[in-house]
Amino acid sequence: MTQVAITHEAQTSAATTPPPPELADWLAAVAQRHDRVAFAGLFQWFAPRIKRYMERLGADHALAEDLAQETLVQVWRKAGQYDPAKAGPSAWVFTVARNLRIDRLRRQRFFEVELTEAAETEDERRDGHQRTLDGLDAARLSALVAELPTEQIHVVQLAYFEGLSHAEVGKALEVPLGTVKSRLRLALTKLRGAMEVES
Amino acid sequence: MNIRHHPDDASLIAYAAGSMTEGLALVVAAHLELCPQCRARVREAQDLGGSLLDGLDAAPLDDGALAATLARIDAITGTETEPSPALRPRTVAGLPATLSPWLPAGLDRVPWRTLVPGIRHFRFPGLDNGNGTVRLLAIAPGTALPHHGHGGSELTLVLRGSFADEIGRFQAGDFADLDPSIQHQPVADTDNPCICLIATDARLRFTGVMGRLFQPLVGI
Repeated sequence: MTQVAITHEAQTSAATTPPPPELADWLAAVAQRHDRVAFAGLFQWFAPRIKRYMERLGADHALAEDLAQETLVQVWRKAGQYDPAKAGPSAWVFTVARNLRIDRLRRQRFFEVELTEAAETEDERRDGHQRTLDGLDAARLSALVAELPTEQIHVVQLAYFEGLSHAEVGKALEVPLGTVKSRLRLALTKLRGAMEVES
Repeated sequence: MNIRHHPDDASLIAYAAGSMTEGLALVVAAHLELCPQCRARVREAQDLGGSLLDGLDAAPLDDGALAATLARIDAITGTETEPSPALRPRTVAGLPATLSPWLPAGLDRVPWRTLVPGIRHFRFPGLDNGNGTVRLLAIAPGTALPHHGHGGSELTLVLRGSFADEIGRFQAGDFADLDPSIQHQPVADTDNPCICLIATDARLRFTGVMGRLFQPLVGI
């Protein structure tokens, strides 16, 4: 169970190093002014973490370095598409890294759907539930994630960072599939509940 | 669209995390085009992904990594950034836009093949993943699929008509999220064929005599 030990270390670092509050401003500066100082700030925060992300998902050091740099190249190019009203900067960068990983490490496509409300009709907007984590600031969300029970954060991290299916997570942790799914559900529900209390 | 059955939160997390097979993810993506509620859930799951990324320990980078990245930016793009692409429509000819590459002419001109009387199918090329497949099924009114269980996940999105099984009634836009613990026998229950998109990540397990006869024929 060394994998699980590693995920536990990752969990504790979430609580100790909050992301810099300037991430969204830096993305805007890159989009509007091609600001290389702002880009350096983004790079320093994200590139080492994306490299770790790629390593966790099976890339060797050289490939992980290459994919981390490539993710940041895409962050530069797509910075104009980032809308702070719709997602936190880290959530957006996560999707860029995830899509690149699926393309390069799995040689598959990620079927991406426009998730934001801009393209929606009034009817759809009324139907959409309002209980989302949207707009929650990154530092607070990190703290909430760090407060999740260990058993929940383990299944979450195995899904996000080991690329394991729920059935594979169940095997790794020696728990039934239904337990894996209910822990994932609980984790998301807990974050959502904490968000509602605050807003 | 009045959607009553949605993917499990655990499936939406798997989609957002990128830990789902390509075929299963396609069916989730097609449902997302139709369902604002699930789009909001996936946004939450991506927020969680961002937070987990923030929480990873920093891996040491190569010397000169920032300079190397800036050189790549200069080489590929000059210094220009890409503008936002125009928002594409969520549906094309009444179908989730995600499916258009496989169904350019919509649901009325699908290159169906008959599996057994009452059941036609069209297998999406390029999405076979191990034992899993993505296919469109057209089930004639009143026809029942053989009772079956699942070696892995089976995700179903109803595109037209409806079916009923032990779990409930599924209409256009509804999503059936089944795992190995569930056995069911869907029956098309309206006057029109039920057309649904089905992805599996392992072979279905048909039960009973009829099912075992059906298995080699269907190959799902």
